[in-house]
Order: sequence, then C-alpha cells, then structure tokens
Amino acid sequence: MNVTLIARSTYLEAIRDRVLAGVIAAGVALLLVTLIARPLAMGEGTRVTIDLGLSSITFLGLLVVLMVGTSLVAKEIERRTIFNLLSRPIARPVYLVGKWAGLSAALWTVAAVLGLALWTLLAALGHAGAALSIAEAVYLAGLELTVVTSIAVMFSALSTPVLSSLYTLGLFVVGQWSDDLRRFAADAPAGMRGLFEACANLVPNLSLFNMRSLAASGEATSVLHLGVATGYALLYCACMMALAAAAFESRDFK
Amino acid sequence: MSALARAPQPLRVRQAVAWALALALGAAVFQLANWSWTALPRVSPLEELAYYPSGQHVRPATLGHEETAADLAWIRAIQYYGQHRRTDNRFDHLYHVFDILTTLAPGFESAYVFGAFALAQEGRNFPFAEALMLKGLDRNPRSGRLAFELGFLYYVKPNGRDLGRAAEYFELAALLPGRRDVARRFAAFCRQNSGSPAVAYALWQQVRETSPNAYLRELAEREMARIHDAMAAGRNDLVRSRLSTPVVLLRESAPAGQGTKRNAP
Repeated sequence: MNVTLIARSTYLEAIRDRVLAGVIAAGVALLLVTLIARPLAMGEGTRVTIDLGLSSITFLGLLVVLMVGTSLVAKEIERRTIFNLLSRPIARPVYLVGKWAGLSAALWTVAAVLGLALWTLLAALGHAGAALSIAEAVYLAGLELTVVTSIAVMFSALSTPVLSSLYTLGLFVVGQWSDDLRRFAADAPAGMRGLFEACANLVPNLSLFNMRSLAASGEATSVLHLGVATGYALLYCACMMALAAAAFESRDFK
Repeated sequence: MSALARAPQPLRVRQAVAWALALALGAAVFQLANWSWTALPRVSPLEELAYYPSGQHVRPATLGHEETAADLAWIRAIQYYGQHRRTDNRFDHLYHVFDILTTLAPGFESAYVFGAFALAQEGRNFPFAEALMLKGLDRNPRSGRLAFELGFLYYVKPNGRDLGRAAEYFELAALLPGRRDVARRFAAFCRQNSGSPAVAYALWQQVRETSPNAYLRELAEREMARIHDAMAAGRNDLVRSRLSTPVVLLRESAPAGQGTKRNAP
C-alpha cells in the first residue's frame, strides 16, 4: 500500500513538472521535422519518420530520467522531506521501489503519448497499418526506460545527482553496445572471450528492447521476444532495486 | 510471538537479505541475457543503410561537423562491408555508402580506394568502382596516390585488364607527389604490354635515370635493351610479357583499405 502511495505522489510530481511537458512538445516537434526530412530519404520517408519517432521516445525519455530520476532521492534529502517519510513505518526499500514505480509510470505516459502522436502522423500520411509494430516498439521502449530508471534510482540512492546522471548515461551507452560486445567477444582471443561475454551479460542488455529497424519496415516481433524482454526488464529492475536497497539501508541522513 | 515477528530486523540482516536478493537476481539476469542472445533473432542495424540520405543533403545537416560525420559513416561502411562479407557477400548499398562518405569528406583518400576495390572485386560492380575513383581524383587532382590506385584498378579490372587507361593514370601518378618511382615502372610495363614500346622505352629510361633503387635501375636497363632489340628487329611482340589473370584479394583479417594483395609486374 505504501508503495502505491509513494509511486502515486512521485508520478503526480513528475507529471506536473515542466520538463515532462517540454519533452512531449519536443517529441511532437521532432515528428513534424521528419516531414521536412522525408524528401531527403531517397523514397524511404515513412521509414525515417518511424525510426526517428521511435528514437525520440527513447532519447527524450532518457533525458527525463537523467534530469528527474537521478535527483529523485537527492532532492528529498536536500528538502529534508525524506525525514517525514522515513520516520513513519515505511521501509527504505519500499520508498525506493515507490519512487522507481512512480517515475516509470510517468515515462510510460510519455512513451504512450509520443507513440500515439507517431501513429496519428503516419495515419495522416496514409500508413495506419503500421500500428501493431509501432505499439510493440513503443512497449519495448517503455521497458527500456523502466530499466534505465531503475539504474538511475539505484545511483540516486548512492550518489550525488551529477554523478548519478553520468553513471546512468554511461550504463545506457554501454547497454546499447551489449550486442556489439558479444560480437567483439566472438572475435577476441580465447582468454578474453569469457571476460567480454561476462561484461555483455552484466551490462543492461538494451539491444533486447530495440525493434526500431523492424518497426521501420512495418514488421512485428515475436511473442517470445516480447515475453523475454518483459521478463528481463523485470528481473533487471528487481536486481537494481535490491542493490539500491542494500546501499540505502546503511545510509545515514543528518 | 507476533510482536517479535513484527519487530524490525537489524540493519545487518536487512542488508544481507538485500545483497542476497541482488546476487540471486543478478545471476538470473546474467543467464537470461546469455540465453536470449542465442535464442532470439537479432535485428540487423545495417537495414538502416537503405535509407541513408544523399551526401549532398546530409552535409548541411552535420552543422559543420562533416569530418566527424564522415568518420562515423566510415565506421558504418566498414561494418556494412564486414557484415556482408561474412554473410551473403552482397554489397547492394556499398556505392551509396561510400558516395555519402566521400561527399562528406572529399579528401578521405582511403575511402575512395577501399570502396572502389571492394566494389570492383567483391561487389562485382566495376562501373561504380570506376565512378568512385574518378570522383576522388576529381576532388583531389593533386593526389598521386589516387591516380596510382585508379591506374591499378584498371590494371586489375575484372574480366580483362584495361592497360591503356592503367598506363594513362600511372603516368599521371608519376607526375604527382607520392609513389613516382613505382608509378613509372607500372606505366612502362602497361605501355609495353598494350603495344606502345616506344613510350615504354621512354618510361623505363626515366626510371633508370631517376630511381634511387639500384635493382630498379638494373631492371629498367634490361627492359630498355629488350625493347631496343625488339624495335630494331621490327618485332614488338617480343617485348610483351604473358600477363596472368588479375587477382586482387582482400585478406580475411586485414584492416579496411590496407588489405590489397597485388601481383605487381
């Protein structure tokens, strides 16, 4: 119950934040810009619109995570509102999970709004048939942002907002290269192969949530892929929350 | 009993539980990531190459960072080449990719050379390879390297050498900064075999007079003597060598643009 309350207040706070409105406006503007870029795309304007539209969801969502998520806990400590919460019978892990769930819900809202805007634009251009692939891609983008949010909350419980942003951004970038790391591992000398493979398994496997290329060509992904991605996101988030809880338990607030 | 159950656990216990949970979940994530790599089909990012905009339009979009964009395009081009070399050996977008790249960075000589040889030898598209090299020479008219490589492209042209044009560009390379000595030698060899022994004689003479390499000077003298004798006897065919089929292989592990293995004359 406490989780729901904290999540709800975090969600409302994030939704009221001007950053979120700005991000949605920027996303819609970017979609409109793709209309101008269409003639440059050698007859592949629809693909460019879908690809850029889906990319904007991830990048703008990442921006929200970096601007809001990494200061979630630090802001509460700075304002001293955390004392009011933690002096009540609320366990610290519950507080962290509530924060993560609230911000994740806000990001799902952003993803849904921008996904809908993308589909509306495509429908206006006569390509309404891409709805399923766009819905799947938006769903996977939402999962990706949820994973990144869990990383941000974990670092937020440990460090300052600036450092949390840098660490989160770093893991996001490395996570995007997880597949490349595996390919690199395949070509690496035998001694190094295991190390690279282990690294690829440890960093967030964000390639799993990338179906932009597939959606751009109007194709849908398999149920297995969606299921594995969902399971992976939940496990990764739970792992990050457990790590955050382990670190947050010993933190002393003055 | 119920009061005891509800009592808060000590900090160490809570931390131990959290760490144990994190490790167990981490192990599960590790396994799932590993499994999904083998079990799920992966989307090839190379699909994106199909809708690369034209270099002409992408140039303003780089906001003054053309070279950086070219470097990124270069990395992408190498990935594209490597991926298709390993899989289907189809290079449908190779010219497009190198065209953009060289429009962004007109002085990027390695891109012209690598792109042209990959197109000619593996893409089996000589006209595009030629177009790319001519574009390079057009943008870099003082480049001895590009002139030489274009000569070499004609020299190893699949399905029949073009010795006349090869000699033309080797001669041009010999006049430009770069590999003048080798260019002269290649030019002489091409002229000799394309039926211009008098020009070949003059080129060998130039090699003999200007080369700092004693072996090369010796070779030039030998060839000059052969041409002289053949011309005196009115038998130009005597100086022509039997040319084998041109072969240019790109070594499996060679870095891009450096892997050409040549059968030099």
